[in-house]
Amino acid sequence: MTGWHLDPEAIRRYAEGAAPPDLAASAEAHLMKCATCREAIASQVDTRRVEAIWHEVADRVDAPRPSLPERMLTRLGVGEATARLVAATPTLRGPWLLGIAAVLALSAGAAQADERLLRMFLVAAPLGPLAGVAVAFAGGLDPTREIGLATPYPGLRLLLIRTTAVLAVTVPIVAAAGLMLPGSHWVAAAWLLPTAGLTCAALALTARMTPVVAVGVVATAWVLVTTATALAGDLDLTSGIGAQLFWLAVTAGGGLWLVATRDTVTIKLGRSA
Amino acid sequence: MTTVRVRNATKSFGRTTALDDVDLDAGRGVTGLLGPNGAGKTTLLRIMATVLAPDRGTVTLLGRDPQRPDDRTRIRERLGYLPQDAGFHRGFTVFEFIDYVAILKQMTDRRARHDEVRRVIELTGLSPVSGKRIRALSGGMRRRVGLAQALLGDPDLLVLDEPTVGLDPEQRLRFREMISHAGEGRTVVLSSHQTEDIAALCTRIAVFHRGRVRFTGTPGELTAQAAGRVWAGTQRSAAALAAWRTGDGVYRNVGDPPAGAELIPPTLEDAYLLLMGENELEVTHS
Repeated sequence: MTGWHLDPEAIRRYAEGAAPPDLAASAEAHLMKCATCREAIASQVDTRRVEAIWHEVADRVDAPRPSLPERMLTRLGVGEATARLVAATPTLRGPWLLGIAAVLALSAGAAQADERLLRMFLVAAPLGPLAGVAVAFAGGLDPTREIGLATPYPGLRLLLIRTTAVLAVTVPIVAAAGLMLPGSHWVAAAWLLPTAGLTCAALALTARMTPVVAVGVVATAWVLVTTATALAGDLDLTSGIGAQLFWLAVTAGGGLWLVATRDTVTIKLGRSA
Repeated sequence: MTTVRVRNATKSFGRTTALDDVDLDAGRGVTGLLGPNGAGKTTLLRIMATVLAPDRGTVTLLGRDPQRPDDRTRIRERLGYLPQDAGFHRGFTVFEFIDYVAILKQMTDRRARHDEVRRVIELTGLSPVSGKRIRALSGGMRRRVGLAQALLGDPDLLVLDEPTVGLDPEQRLRFREMISHAGEGRTVVLSSHQTEDIAALCTRIAVFHRGRVRFTGTPGELTAQAAGRVWAGTQRSAAALAAWRTGDGVYRNVGDPPAGAELIPPTLEDAYLLLMGENELEVTHS
């Protein structure tokens, strides 16, 4: 018990949340010790405000601390819900990424010894990010695919979130491998536009087929068209100026198509969804 | 009111016909799909969950057509689904995983979403393990996580594929209680090959065999079909379509009883086995 009590005006202002910080701090210290003032304030507090405060406290206490990748993403400005969706992307698992890095590092290392392997690197480089996009939606690798298919989350949005996340992680890996190549760094970066173009083409095809099949189609077409010429020493189809302009056009066209049809096209994330 | 209406639904995978001209209605309460493995139960439930579309036939869910994209989204907003082999991101905690599904269910307000996650966690008795990683949970607890995510948003239609599979008897009892509670005021369609679960939970049942519906009605009506066709004996009867030995060593035979057979009251399991036996016979002779 204490000898003094909060005056009615202080109680009213504190109850409404309108008390300045010094008054609020004094009131809180006093309320901890004074049952009379607690009783007086209880009748004046808006129950909706109390519930909101209680929810906030419960949420802070109960909700687990997000994982390190999620915290990093939210610090970069990604929304917490989007960060959780990215964290659940199957491609973004250590073993898979290490696999990509190891294959590309070996390719780049081998290219030091044989120039023909440099050309093969340019053919193979876009396949890493493309495979990542496929893995992000592969039924066997996404354990919650069946649950996800039965939810109302827009397929196109999920497709773009996961694809962006996969590209953000795999492109630097391929770029690092490219820097190990002998010769000009321009050649080492020449795979970027074909990668963007092939990814956009695969995304556009998801209106007709699942992402895994779409990636399979564009990857197969890419390999069939480019391998023979690249091995013969002609790099025009992969890294020539004409090819770069072509892939820039494909990227722009695919992007525009996705924007234009975002509300009308159903993305086939599953066999029939 | 009919929440689920299936007419002439047919679905094939390659040369295998999983569903063959199936009709089914389900309304409020718990409807059970009973049948052996491969009978078509999972295929029908996946169609009801909008994950799969039939090759032929029509399906209406919550008054809407899941073939139309807009309708499909509206259905999914009011749908809860527990797949047969529900997978989890095992590195997530229970809370994180259910929160992840809540995000996919378009619960955008973080605080309201977290409240809902807490509600289903409490409803399914998962509060003590809310912060545990899913990889550290037992199979029964994971099944509860699966049910919890299906209950998010208080859906009007709950589709549960083999919800009690892999659970021990105590967990099954608790699950039955939760599902029974969930069936009050909404439509629950579940599958099982456990007749005890069906008898304990369902107000209506549909028995599947080789992709076709062989019976629809109440558990009592199915049991009544076996009246006068179950008899006890010290050995398997040659006249029986199916027979099994109970714990006390007595054989329960189902089929057309021979003269002088000691008839006993049928159970739901007797009736189910009789129906399966008759259908197998029909398939063999056709």
